[in-house]
Amino acid sequence: MRKTIVLLLGVIGAVLIWFTSVSAYRVFSVDWQLPQTPLQQSAEYRLVLITQELETPFWDKVAAAAREEAAKHGAMLAVWGSYNNDSDEFLKKLEIAIHSRMDGIIVQGLDTDTFKELVKYKAASYGIPVITVGSDVPDSLRRTYVGSDHFRAGRMIARQLVEDMGPEGTVILVRDSGNAHYQEQRLNGIRSVLESYPGIELRYAETQGTREQVIAAMQDLMNRSPDVQAFIAANANLTAAMVQEIGRRSRVQPYHIYSFDDSPDMLTLLRDGLIDGIIEQSPEAMGRISISLMIDWLKGEKLPLDSGGYHTEIRLRKAVDAP
Amino acid sequence: MNRIQYKILSLTGIVLFIMAAIWMTLTYYSRQTQEQYNEILQRYLRMNEVTGASQQTITDLNNYLIRPTQEHLGQLEGSMERLRQAKYDVYALRNGDNDFDLTSYTNLIDSLLDAANRALMFQSQTATEDSNEAFNEATRISRSISDMTLTLLDTELKTYDRFYRGIIERSTELNRLGIWLLLTITFLLLIFAYWFALSITRPVQKLTQAAKELSRGHFDRKIEVSSNDEIAFLAKMFERMRVNINNLITEIQQKAQLEHELQQSKLLLQESRYRSLQSQIHPHFLFNTLDTLSKKAYLEGAEETSDLLASVAGLLRYSLRRMDRSVTLYEEVRVLRQYMDIQTARFADRLRFVEEIDESCLYVEIPGLTLQPIVENAVIHAVEPMEDGGTITFRVANDGDRIRVEIEDNGPGIPADKIAQILKGSAQETEGHTTGIGIGNVVQRLRLFYGQEDVIDIESGPGSGTKVVLRLPRWRRYETDDQRTDRG
Repeated sequence: MRKTIVLLLGVIGAVLIWFTSVSAYRVFSVDWQLPQTPLQQSAEYRLVLITQELETPFWDKVAAAAREEAAKHGAMLAVWGSYNNDSDEFLKKLEIAIHSRMDGIIVQGLDTDTFKELVKYKAASYGIPVITVGSDVPDSLRRTYVGSDHFRAGRMIARQLVEDMGPEGTVILVRDSGNAHYQEQRLNGIRSVLESYPGIELRYAETQGTREQVIAAMQDLMNRSPDVQAFIAANANLTAAMVQEIGRRSRVQPYHIYSFDDSPDMLTLLRDGLIDGIIEQSPEAMGRISISLMIDWLKGEKLPLDSGGYHTEIRLRKAVDAP
Repeated sequence: MNRIQYKILSLTGIVLFIMAAIWMTLTYYSRQTQEQYNEILQRYLRMNEVTGASQQTITDLNNYLIRPTQEHLGQLEGSMERLRQAKYDVYALRNGDNDFDLTSYTNLIDSLLDAANRALMFQSQTATEDSNEAFNEATRISRSISDMTLTLLDTELKTYDRFYRGIIERSTELNRLGIWLLLTITFLLLIFAYWFALSITRPVQKLTQAAKELSRGHFDRKIEVSSNDEIAFLAKMFERMRVNINNLITEIQQKAQLEHELQQSKLLLQESRYRSLQSQIHPHFLFNTLDTLSKKAYLEGAEETSDLLASVAGLLRYSLRRMDRSVTLYEEVRVLRQYMDIQTARFADRLRFVEEIDESCLYVEIPGLTLQPIVENAVIHAVEPMEDGGTITFRVANDGDRIRVEIEDNGPGIPADKIAQILKGSAQETEGHTTGIGIGNVVQRLRLFYGQEDVIDIESGPGSGTKVVLRLPRWRRYETDDQRTDRG
């Protein structure tokens, strides 16, 4: 009896002491200091990548490659920007970047006066080198351009079109009203090819970027030109709405539809055979090369940069290639 | 000698120590927590300070540009200085996570200060449009600073999110610890206090038990208290007292025993003396008469009668004289022979007396009139009632450190209960004895004389005779003090 009681008390005591010590350990085994992420001494350069279209697959790839490259060189890279081509927000970010005195700015070119002014005067007055990426603004005194040769891309599309459609027909070029440099380049490229085919008639459609406007513009255009045989979207953002509208009116397959950029929904359309060809760009190469050029320039290893730009690879991807 | 006091003090000390330890730990803990909170708050306040200072700068700049007074200039300079200070403060908050943003942040502040200075410069050059331009830029920068403050605070929250959650978890855990601690300490103190109380009360209980035993008169149980405090000391003293009392009681009992024995021997002595006095009525007359009768018988030629008369006279004289003093076995044997002469004359052929005596043993001391009553007893019980008479054998032999004296008859024997009665000394039958001394008296006197119980033994069985064995020590253990003179 006595033994049982002693045993019982011992067990109770041990349990209590165990729980108390576990609890005490939990309470007192904490670090009293705020967790400090150590400073990286090697972060020589603070670079920023600014785009108008954050979190789109294309720019995500650019940013990822840029980050990787920056980490390789021990530079810090921030990715800023606006969503859905909000150019005011985009310009504000650019201005903040300039005021924050970044060591280098890599920016998606925006063909407006404010952009040019910021790059030409503001950035220059703070001595910040600017590299445009993806789309160019040649008269903004940017150091260089890294991205696709949009003129050549236009030519490739046009050649493919002629190959698919033949030397006669009506082609509608859908462009947005932003007058972006790269869009002009693409159109110029297309025109430069189609000029030599008198049988091909080019018509232009200009819309704002939103879905409803694209659809309205398409309706209008197709009403006026029922004999159209091919569509070329100068800007990838327009393609999905365009294809949808065409699909509502008739079967899509007979039309020759081309676009630029390779976003996942674009690839889906391509796989479904709804569009006939797209131009694939190399976002990873853009991110990588822009960063490495910037760092080379900052180190003074590569002076001057080729102001004509560094063109990354482009490929035409046809519907028949699609897996 | 202050073990109990020491125990109480140590209990108090342990309790105090535990309390103090808990108190100190908790105090330390709460101070650390407070410092931590301060540090966190400091970070946020510093970042907020930048926003405040930059906005203040813009307001002051605006005021000055509208009305360029010295007072406004002073205010502007003050707020710019404050902004600069805030910049340094906030710069100290750099860590790996916010390094980039914070550098941008401080650069923004520099840009703001530059823009403000530029506005001032253009103002002084009365280039109002440029000045306004610079002011607008400063305003935009200030807005960016506010935005970035939010970004930084957000980063801060993300960076330390786990840490803050840790703090909350810890405070919950602290509450739990409090409960556990309370339970554990209560439990331990209860156990300890119980054990402690037991260590004091158990010896007291033992002592109480022992005292009860003593009061009931059980002085022979040992008092044992196995603690190491004052109670144990008390118990030791108590035990010593018990032993002393026990010894005293034993001594008293022994004394009483001695007293009793003395009393008994005195009583026996008085009884024999009384009996001898009874038969002393006219001893000299009787002796002289017997002597005269003996001489007369001799003269008349009856020599046998004369010898018989002389024996009777000797026996009577001896029995009156030798009661209260020791004699040698030799004298006893001589008197026994005289007695046997008389008895032989009486019983003639019916009584056969055999002697086997080792003469070297006759020096030993023996109480007077020891053998005669035993032999007489044998004559009375084994010879007298028998028609054919009986044989009495008397032996004295050396038996190691003792002298063995045997008186054996071939009579009908004595029953066992009678023998036990005789040996206990309670048999009182004096009738028919010449000297008035019974065998019970003999047994008592022999035991008192030698101070030994086994000095006499009786072996007997129904129909197989009786054998009285005396085993006399060669030397007496102590001398009796009554060396009386002969009153013959």
